[in-house]
Amino acid sequence: MLITKKRGIVWVVAMGVVLLCSAAGRALDQSDAPESVTIGLLEELYEPVEFDHAGHTEMAECSDCHHHTAGTVTQRWNCKKCHTNPLEGDTVSCADCHSPNRFDSQYLATLDNPELYHVEKPGLKGAYHLNCVGCHQEQGGPTGCEDCHAMTEAGEQRFNAGRYSPAP
Amino acid sequence: MKNKIINRRSFIKGGFGGTAATVLSLKSARAAGDFDHYPDSMGVIVDLNRCVGCRSCEAACNKEQGLPEPEKPFNDYSVFDAHESGGHGGAGRRTDETRYTVVNKYELPEIDHPLYRKSQCNHCLEPACLTSCFVNAYTKTPEGAVIYNADVCVGCRTCMIACPFYIPTFKYSSAFSPRIMKCIFCYDTRLKEGRPPACVEACPQEALTFGKRVDLLEIGRKRIRQNPGGYVNHIYGENEAGGTAWMYLSPVDFGEAGFDVHVPHEPVINFVRDFLSIVPMVLVIWPALFAGFHLLANRKEQNKHHHIDGGEE
Amino acid sequence: MKLFASEKQEIPISDHFKPDGSRWTLKEKLLLGLSFDDYRKQLVRNPLNWLILIIFAIGVPIIVERFVFGLGSVTHGSNDYPWGLFLAFGLFGMVPLSASGFMLGTTVELFGRKDFHPIERLALLNGLLGYFFAVIYLQVDLGMPWRLPYPMVVSLGPAAVLFLVAWHVATYLSVQIAEVLPSFFEWIGWLKGKRMIRSMVLCLTIAGIILSTLHQGALGALFTYPAGKLHPLWMSANFLWIQFLCSAVFGGLSMLIIVSTLSKWFLAWRCDNQFLDSLDKLTLGLAKGAAFAMITYLGIKFMAIAHDKEWVYLFTGWGQYYLLELTIGVVIPMMLFAFAVRNGNAQMARVAAFISVFGVLWNRINTALIGFNWHMYQEIPHWKEVAITITIFTLYLATYRFILYRLPILYAWKGEK
Repeated sequence: MLITKKRGIVWVVAMGVVLLCSAAGRALDQSDAPESVTIGLLEELYEPVEFDHAGHTEMAECSDCHHHTAGTVTQRWNCKKCHTNPLEGDTVSCADCHSPNRFDSQYLATLDNPELYHVEKPGLKGAYHLNCVGCHQEQGGPTGCEDCHAMTEAGEQRFNAGRYSPAP
Repeated sequence: MKNKIINRRSFIKGGFGGTAATVLSLKSARAAGDFDHYPDSMGVIVDLNRCVGCRSCEAACNKEQGLPEPEKPFNDYSVFDAHESGGHGGAGRRTDETRYTVVNKYELPEIDHPLYRKSQCNHCLEPACLTSCFVNAYTKTPEGAVIYNADVCVGCRTCMIACPFYIPTFKYSSAFSPRIMKCIFCYDTRLKEGRPPACVEACPQEALTFGKRVDLLEIGRKRIRQNPGGYVNHIYGENEAGGTAWMYLSPVDFGEAGFDVHVPHEPVINFVRDFLSIVPMVLVIWPALFAGFHLLANRKEQNKHHHIDGGEE
Repeated sequence: MKLFASEKQEIPISDHFKPDGSRWTLKEKLLLGLSFDDYRKQLVRNPLNWLILIIFAIGVPIIVERFVFGLGSVTHGSNDYPWGLFLAFGLFGMVPLSASGFMLGTTVELFGRKDFHPIERLALLNGLLGYFFAVIYLQVDLGMPWRLPYPMVVSLGPAAVLFLVAWHVATYLSVQIAEVLPSFFEWIGWLKGKRMIRSMVLCLTIAGIILSTLHQGALGALFTYPAGKLHPLWMSANFLWIQFLCSAVFGGLSMLIIVSTLSKWFLAWRCDNQFLDSLDKLTLGLAKGAAFAMITYLGIKFMAIAHDKEWVYLFTGWGQYYLLELTIGVVIPMMLFAFAVRNGNAQMARVAAFISVFGVLWNRINTALIGFNWHMYQEIPHWKEVAITITIFTLYLATYRFILYRLPILYAWKGEK
């Protein structure tokens, strides 16, 4: 799954997650980043999201989203306690750390490991939304669900919306 | 704690065993008293700081449980503002026979964004609905769900009276098969197989965290500890009603977010214990006591008769 | 009926034989010894029957509606107030007022107070009918009569208070049927049955006390489940059951004073002299018992507040309402009872009884509906709910009257006993 030494390329993966990694020992800079990323995690209910990565790099630090993995020092006090080396990390992909199946019994079983520190690590969907929505709320970005996600037909069925709206 | 509970149960059981000894099979008596806390039971912790009021959980629940079509689409957020008249006295929306979970909005002056709170069955460790049910229609499963069997329910609605969270609702619309309608933690379709309930899976914000109840308590405490300004130092449901499987974290006093903060911190059955404990006493003491009174009273009367008889002679 | 009773010597029937020596047939007994035409005439002449007819004309269709379209069609179908008038009035109100059966059974059969004998059968009947109609109310509320035996045979939850209520009310209903049966056996002339019951009367009476103590108390204990929903002044984990039991004692006695008074007023033709002559004295006897029960009740109420340290609530609006209930429902009738006993004034005791019965009903409604969800909105029952409640109560009165007209309740059977 891990693809290394490929830079600046947009990867659309089945899970809809960018798998972008840096060469070991080299810090990424903004020019290394993809222009846009297609995220299709919720493709059952919503059309994939075309994430303007380049646009966001102008508004935020890499570490705002990528914690300590993108070669810049994280500002979070709790992370800084251990993650002091900015060159650390051989993946920047969200999905490589945040599980899409956060509440599976297999995943939950891994939390029983007494050595595990990151017991609270959100799943992939949670990581996206907590990060995106949290910042959008602070910075005044769009926060409505359908501001980012266009509903598929299945989504409209699920939400009794659009063509599946209840009769008034 | 565990021992205490077992003792209490068997004690109560003993009391009623006497009442209906002739008709109770041992098996059913044991089933009714089988309330032990399950150490590995699952739960959910709801973080009010994370909920954005998207109603995805409501939509997912509706489809998973095959509930009727809603009045308004689930992406219609006007439901938060329209305080329904009649139904709940203007106190926001509540669960009913068409929805097992609802999200309500709370605009509070001390925080700059609205607060949303999801409510559903909290799946108590010692559920009031279960302990008050006289046909044993409720079961607390080892996985943590409080499930309900409509086949034996007579529709007395005592569970609705007893539930401190106002959760069980009644299918008032049905004449021939009225039943209780409430969240069952997706037991049949998901929890039984180790999967999270539909609402948890649907939540984009991971405002709902599913896991073992004991682990969730730790997660909750950790979040409070790491962000002391962001949370009040209380996990709602840790002790409320004797502990619940669904618990809550909140940035404001729970009362402000629509929680009943007067819910006692012990199982509801504790309030009924005083009465339950007199039952065996009445059953055992009354017959002898009143038969004795009868003998005393009639002895006097017989003596009186003797006297009169004697006088006449 | 009064008219016929004064005109015809053989009416009312109180013997198996007509004056001419032939036996009354069962049909004649049912028609009160009147010809069919005369019977119809007295029915039509009585304005009360017209009132009953009107109430049934409105209420019965609504009851049918309830069973066809569900409880939601006749009530507000509230999930916050799961119990409405059918239970608050019909079950929680009727049951304490029917405690007369076990009270008088105990007094006469157990304590040997034979002087209360003339009123004993009325007390037993009052108990039986009250319970029976409480069950009718319950059935209208539950709407699934076929599931009535479920808690007994299908699925048992013996650790629940309601389990005890169900079992005890069911058993007690049988006990009460057995206790009332002798008058029926006298009336149809089957003495073997009467002797059989007679031989069990002590057992039945003791069973009656046990069952009554427990289920009257259990009805109170049911309201300790919603510990946090019921206003603290009405809620008492320790004492609520004994408050319900104790108020049932004076409620039952007061109800007996009322029905005996009504019988004296409206059914004097049916009462025998023993009943009419001893009634004032017996009323005062009942008044004395009620007064004692009331002072005990006040004591327990006081203890409950002291125990839970709820004095501060007394100074709120709820506290004043609570004190109002106690003053009107208990203190005033208690003082009236006491004066009545002291001055030998049976009329005053009757007034007190009316107030006291109202007080007990008020207390039950306060517990089940008004003090319940006290921090929430107040549910006002749907008019159809009220209509059904009134209809069933009317049916209760009509049944009551039907039986009093016929069975030897208010009079002693003159035939073989």
